Amino acid sequence: MGKIKIKIVVVALMAALITLMSQATLAYYQAVGKATNVVTSGNIQFIIHETTDQGKEFPKEGVYIVPGDIVSKKVSIESDCEHPFYLRVKMVYGVDSQELPSKDCFKLNIDEENWLLHDGWYYYTGIVNPGETTPNVFSHVEIVGSKVDNSYIGKTLTLTVKAQAVQSENNPINDGNTYTASGWPKEIAE
Amino acid sequence: MKKIITLLIMLVLLLSSTVTVFAADGKVTYSGNAGNFVFEPGSEHSLTDLFPNFKGVMPGDTLTQKITVKNNADNKVKVKIYIRSLGAHEDSVEFLSQLGLKVQKSEENEMAYMFDAAVNETAQLTDWVCLGTLYSGGEVNLDVTLSVPVELDNEYQNKIGLLDWEFMVEELPIEESDPNPPQTGDNSNITLCLTLMLCCVATIIIILLWRRNDKEQEKINAKH
Repeated sequence: MGKIKIKIVVVALMAALITLMSQATLAYYQAVGKATNVVTSGNIQFIIHETTDQGKEFPKEGVYIVPGDIVSKKVSIESDCEHPFYLRVKMVYGVDSQELPSKDCFKLNIDEENWLLHDGWYYYTGIVNPGETTPNVFSHVEIVGSKVDNSYIGKTLTLTVKAQAVQSENNPINDGNTYTASGWPKEIAE
Repeated sequence: MKKIITLLIMLVLLLSSTVTVFAADGKVTYSGNAGNFVFEPGSEHSLTDLFPNFKGVMPGDTLTQKITVKNNADNKVKVKIYIRSLGAHEDSVEFLSQLGLKVQKSEENEMAYMFDAAVNETAQLTDWVCLGTLYSGGEVNLDVTLSVPVELDNEYQNKIGLLDWEFMVEELPIEESDPNPPQTGDNSNITLCLTLMLCCVATIIIILLWRRNDKEQEKINAKH
């Protein structure tokens, strides 16, 4: 019985020693970790504001007009992104009759100090920075009485403001003319 | 007095938060004992994001990101740190293939880039590349440069690209030949091992003596 006890103790001690030696061998570890890195791209976004003299939003359903009317309509553009941009706007006129012209029916008081006409577009002469709103492109629309005659009775005249923007970062211009910036979208025939 | 202490605590907290806000470096920290890596600062898209500077990139941008890889393991080991790229996630390949990425160690500006390819590729980082052997507290800095072509198309606005990098460490024992082995006086494990070994040796000696006594007793019994 005593010999068996001794054998058990010896085996246990040997096991303990082997364990200790193994720990010494395995003390040097290897570890791997993974990082998921993220690249995101920015964007250019803006909001077109159309308001009246009273500061209210211009009615989406439009207003009734008669020749000679001067309609209050202030148009400005607000930056809605984190990057500065150049901006251009274009007014597109329309009437729900193919026989009637529409272009000369409207007269706008364009702010030519801040908006420069070039190739049919009004280019904002500055940079629209994040959080900024441009000066009004125009503030009143006159319905030209000499052009809007009786043939327009019951028709709907439309004035659509189109705007396009291009980043100003990494985008140099010549002689301060924003229309020389790169990246303006190409005109698509309508 | 209490108000002053409160104000001081608030000031410290404010300063701490300010540091957090303006910290724009990526950081990889190995804590030792085969523990986890800690990746900072993370982002809303990935908790292990090392690229805080590469957000909202625009055509024509060339941006740099410093990443510090640090060994925070104790001073009984030195570690070899490796990096490799696993490439872009499948749905990020198209966007990231438009962008260029360069990686080099800050201390070796004259050295050729350890990575210079489109972001989605694994290129020179397909296999593990050793960043160096670091002692406790040691670190190595990486300069990562992202190039966005100026002609990047509008369709790539508001894109999110995910890129996986792996880091690996091998712990190695400090050797006498190592330069400036760190000294901290922390020898607790060595003491424990020596104590255990001494106990074992003592036990073996006791058992051997015990056996010899048993044999002598058997001989005496046999004579009788």
